[in-house]
Amino acid sequence: MSGNAAIGEAAIRAGCQCYFGYPITPQNELTEYMAQNLSRRKGCTFIQAESEISAINMVYGASVAGVRAMTSSSSPGISLKQEGISYLAACELPAVIVNMSRGGPGLGSISAAQSDYYQSTRGGGHGDYRTIVLAPSSVQELADFTHRAFELSDQYLVPVIILGDGMIGQMMEPVEFKHEAPAELPIRERALRGAKGRNSRIIKTFTSNPAELEEINWSLFRRYQLIEKEETTSESYLTEDAKLILVAFGIGARIAKGAIKTARANGMKVGLFRPITLWPFPTKKLQELAKTTKFFLDFEMNMGQMVDDVHLALGDKANISFYGRPGGVIATPAEVLRVITRLYHQKGLDTKK
Amino acid sequence: MQVKTNILSLPTEEFVHPGTRACTGCGLAIAYRVGLKALGKDTILVVPPSCLTVLQGLFPVASTKLPCLNVTFASTAAAATGILATLKTQGNEHTTVAAWAGDGGTSDIGLQALSGAAERGDNFIYFCYDNEGYMNTGVQRSGTTPIGAITANTPFKGKLQQKKDVPAIMAAHSLSYVAACSAAYPLDLYDKIKNCMNLPGTKYFHIHIPCPPGWGYDPRYGIKIGRLAVETGYYDLYEIVKGEFRLTAASEKIVEKRKLIPVREYFRAQSRFKILTDAQIADIQNQIDAKWAKYYKKDE
Repeated sequence: MSGNAAIGEAAIRAGCQCYFGYPITPQNELTEYMAQNLSRRKGCTFIQAESEISAINMVYGASVAGVRAMTSSSSPGISLKQEGISYLAACELPAVIVNMSRGGPGLGSISAAQSDYYQSTRGGGHGDYRTIVLAPSSVQELADFTHRAFELSDQYLVPVIILGDGMIGQMMEPVEFKHEAPAELPIRERALRGAKGRNSRIIKTFTSNPAELEEINWSLFRRYQLIEKEETTSESYLTEDAKLILVAFGIGARIAKGAIKTARANGMKVGLFRPITLWPFPTKKLQELAKTTKFFLDFEMNMGQMVDDVHLALGDKANISFYGRPGGVIATPAEVLRVITRLYHQKGLDTKK
Repeated sequence: MQVKTNILSLPTEEFVHPGTRACTGCGLAIAYRVGLKALGKDTILVVPPSCLTVLQGLFPVASTKLPCLNVTFASTAAAATGILATLKTQGNEHTTVAAWAGDGGTSDIGLQALSGAAERGDNFIYFCYDNEGYMNTGVQRSGTTPIGAITANTPFKGKLQQKKDVPAIMAAHSLSYVAACSAAYPLDLYDKIKNCMNLPGTKYFHIHIPCPPGWGYDPRYGIKIGRLAVETGYYDLYEIVKGEFRLTAASEKIVEKRKLIPVREYFRAQSRFKILTDAQIADIQNQIDAKWAKYYKKDE
């Protein structure tokens, strides 16, 4: 199954009842999957909107009325959705947004890239908010994380972004759907459903009272702190004895893993640290690794975005190098291996005990 | 009334390089090639994401010999307005600004910017090349996809809604010039562009573009299918000059001869309409007949 189709199937199984899409390569398979499979389900809605802006605001409307809703796009389209995502965050509304990112800036290219890290992890739109960002590196994870995204979004009432890329969205891998929707989806107390027989509920994002806005932001901030504490996830691969640890996410981590396997076969003690939640960034876990390993190589398919978070986490406690390929060029494991090998020798890791 | 251009009087200078990235049999390649001949060298092109971006190539590499700006999907007309503002600052009144966008980029995501520019009367020519879907991304429905057409996102019953009549929307902006053209009638397109060049404000062109992969027919039949759309009275060629409507080319001839080919022939030539039932086709035929009855009455 293709990665994009796997997201669609996982979303349907997670109880996503509304999906709003708009054509853009490389995520069209997801929209098509929903056109074929969600549109025929009872009580479910598939709409191809007239723009990305409309699609995200349809999600906003569906979410405020109390169902699980999703949209997807690729980099330029995700840029257009940012104002809507900011509103979702302000109104504390759950939503799942899939970004099958491609090379930029501008229209860029349609091939896979990881240059939307900043946009995804720093809120993306205007205002002081965050979105949970999940970075899958296999089709199986796309399915698992889609389910997880709906759960996290409902639990914390924040928009959740699945940050994939054109490669993972279009590649075919076996996938097992392990999760089904809970028998009862969480009832949203705040959902707008008309005010017949009760007082009306008001969900708004505008306040003319600065103190009130500050209180809203404090409340959001406290929730973000809780998410940082509870929901930070990462994967450590062959890090126990590693002299050099690669830091990479998503498809980049997959490429890095290939390089690491060969490096190990060549006698180099190299490991991988893979942030799974890009926000919240797994700072503490990385700091723990830096107690035993001093050399880190950050690898990304951009010119250095996540590496800022690595620097923030490790400060001067470790020696951090960076390797990146920008603009939608997909690096090969052989290429990453060359960088590893050069760095390994340069830093004298092959001679040090 | 100016003399109609024929294939011999068409300028020989080409502005589209041979070997573009268009699909085999692409109707857009014809309309674009002839359209640029009419616009001439003193032109700046504005192109959003679309099949034309692929045909055109991406900045700074382009398959045309004219300067071309690649803009965001929603902003074609707005970017054209920006270029016009600078030309005005520079005292340049001779350069033509021509926007070429697809039907999704016009009828869906680009409509707001286009309506804004048209309402202001910004002096440029806007071309909507209408292949009736998002063909570049793999054939999804758009606002101008006709009722009954199968697309990737209308896979079972075809599109359920009517085609959005964008030229009518643009005519409602009281433009100096609105035209409906077809890639199957390139000389009609050429003459219309020449007709409108000196008119003030925003000029709008809607061009019907047969699309082999999107419509489902053998690439060699593109012109035939484009002509069938007109000869069956399904798609009309016309121009509205300062509010005056008149049919042109083959559509004008239908009025003269009072003869329409049954629309069934148009539908059955394309696989995208395969789910249209006889009853649905009869219904559409009735709508076409009613429309043409009005045209005939006007002519009497």
